[in-house]
Amino acid sequence: MSKEPIDMRDAFFDKLYDIAKNDRDVIFLTADMGAFSLVRFKKDLEKQYINVGVAEQNMVSVAAGLALSGKKVYIYSIVPFVTQRCYEQIKIDLSLMNIPVTIIGSGPGFSYNSDGPTHHASQDIANIRTLPNMTILSPSDSEMAKGFASLSYKHNGPTYIRLDKGKYPSLYKKKDYSQGFGFIKKGQNLTIITTGIIIHKVLHVCEELKKNSIEANIIDIYRLKPLNKKVLLKILKDSKNIVTVEESSIVGGLGSIISELLADNDLQIPLKRIGSPDEYCYLYSNRDCIHTKYGLDATGITENILGWIK
Amino acid sequence: MEKKIDELKEKARWVRCQVLEMISNAKKGHIGGAFSSTDVLVALYYGGILKYKPKNPKWSNRDYFIISKGHSGVALYAILADLGYFSTEELEKFCDGGILGGHPDRNIPGIEADTGSLGHGLGIAAGIALAAKMDKKQIKSIVLLGDGECYEGSVWESAQFAAHHKLNNLIAIVDRNMQGVTDFTEDANKLEPLDEKWKAFGWNVKKIDGHSFKEILRVFTELEKDKSDKPCVIIAKTVKGKGVDFMECKLAWHHSVPKNEKLTNARNQLNDNREVQ
Repeated sequence: MSKEPIDMRDAFFDKLYDIAKNDRDVIFLTADMGAFSLVRFKKDLEKQYINVGVAEQNMVSVAAGLALSGKKVYIYSIVPFVTQRCYEQIKIDLSLMNIPVTIIGSGPGFSYNSDGPTHHASQDIANIRTLPNMTILSPSDSEMAKGFASLSYKHNGPTYIRLDKGKYPSLYKKKDYSQGFGFIKKGQNLTIITTGIIIHKVLHVCEELKKNSIEANIIDIYRLKPLNKKVLLKILKDSKNIVTVEESSIVGGLGSIISELLADNDLQIPLKRIGSPDEYCYLYSNRDCIHTKYGLDATGITENILGWIK
Repeated sequence: MEKKIDELKEKARWVRCQVLEMISNAKKGHIGGAFSSTDVLVALYYGGILKYKPKNPKWSNRDYFIISKGHSGVALYAILADLGYFSTEELEKFCDGGILGGHPDRNIPGIEADTGSLGHGLGIAAGIALAAKMDKKQIKSIVLLGDGECYEGSVWESAQFAAHHKLNNLIAIVDRNMQGVTDFTEDANKLEPLDEKWKAFGWNVKKIDGHSFKEILRVFTELEKDKSDKPCVIIAKTVKGKGVDFMECKLAWHHSVPKNEKLTNARNQLNDNREVQ
């Protein structure tokens, strides 16, 4: 906990390097996408590292062929390219055939802020969660990203990991991520459910809410699929109000997952969904500015919740 | 050799008869492309080209065959049933509650990949060929593509990849029947010069008559001796609807179903003298 966090990508790739060094059947394919910590992977494990070029459809199909031959395959590119460009290959070659290939999507949400709407990743949760057999992992800190390298290696089916940029301090004492979600903070007035690195803003939101005498639960859903419905329902049924906060599009993301969970289980609890709107973002600026534009900064989220709850 | 070729011809006739019955029973299915690829499929499975064990479909030293033009799976089903991968009774339940659907899936013994959407099989077969190279396994990865499938950009992504990685254990066969669903390929969107395109992508290209067992067997014998480090594509010139004259080269028979007199006529031409039920 006291250690200085490292970049989320480095945490993941360093662990994957260790795994691949001990297992020659681990193969890494990249669609010409790099990372600082991939340099030594490429150098030391050159037979396990293949740059396929910017050809994501082929990357997925080749990954499937390798996996059908007993390899544990990781494929890597920026979120929209590795999830949407090759969506049908993911559907048929990975999800339908239910084989162990892990998709590493770099930069969920507005991570690629000023690169514009082609690079923003607002629909990935909605897209991938409709595909059966997929596991969707959404790490909220660097330690967890490292843990997900191991988790995906052990999993015998297709996995999608939303890997963010940046250094995020560890939120968990225990490094067991099998439950699918974590309780980060306990309160009795409100439950805030979130996913990914925006939780670090939600922690500030909680401090602001506290000043208004509102004590909030915070639940971090780091495995969006399969959702740990049974345990979540036990917690949610006693909640007075629920707010979901995500950086993704409000259409089909975390808020949709929770609203479906409530509706399917006859839980009539007031729910507020906060996320990015159903539009393309042309604000060419940093991530914080985009968050402010969409009310996803700590102030915006706090005001939204206070306005709703009163 | 002549005897072997006669046996293959008889097997191909039998496969076409099965396909005709399966499709007429189910009242659905892609008969034209199944007939154009029947001879290639028969050569692969009965001509000593593929190594396989029907009683052990996942045998680790088997050759892999991916039928990327999944809509021709109906012809492959007849072959797999005949070889004992599953009961021939399944053929009677084609598209009607059994294990065999309109497009192949991996739940069917002998099927290596789920196909049906075009443009996936070459990449999968390339991945299999690459894994075999990594593991130093002496196996072949063979994939059957439709010519219309070659419109898919993903085919060319995979073609480029396979040549770069010198996957000389990968063989693609293009069922060049010159037709898509609603048009002839050269009228709709020219594929020619198809051989030059594959050559430019770094492949060895062989052109054969896809209905001549002699030519199909010969080209695979040549490939066994070939020391080239390139992947190979065999462009098999075929006739859509081959074997039944009123179906041959007719756009209507991509997925039409023969009934009544047409069914009797087709049976007669395939020397299958069953009565129309």
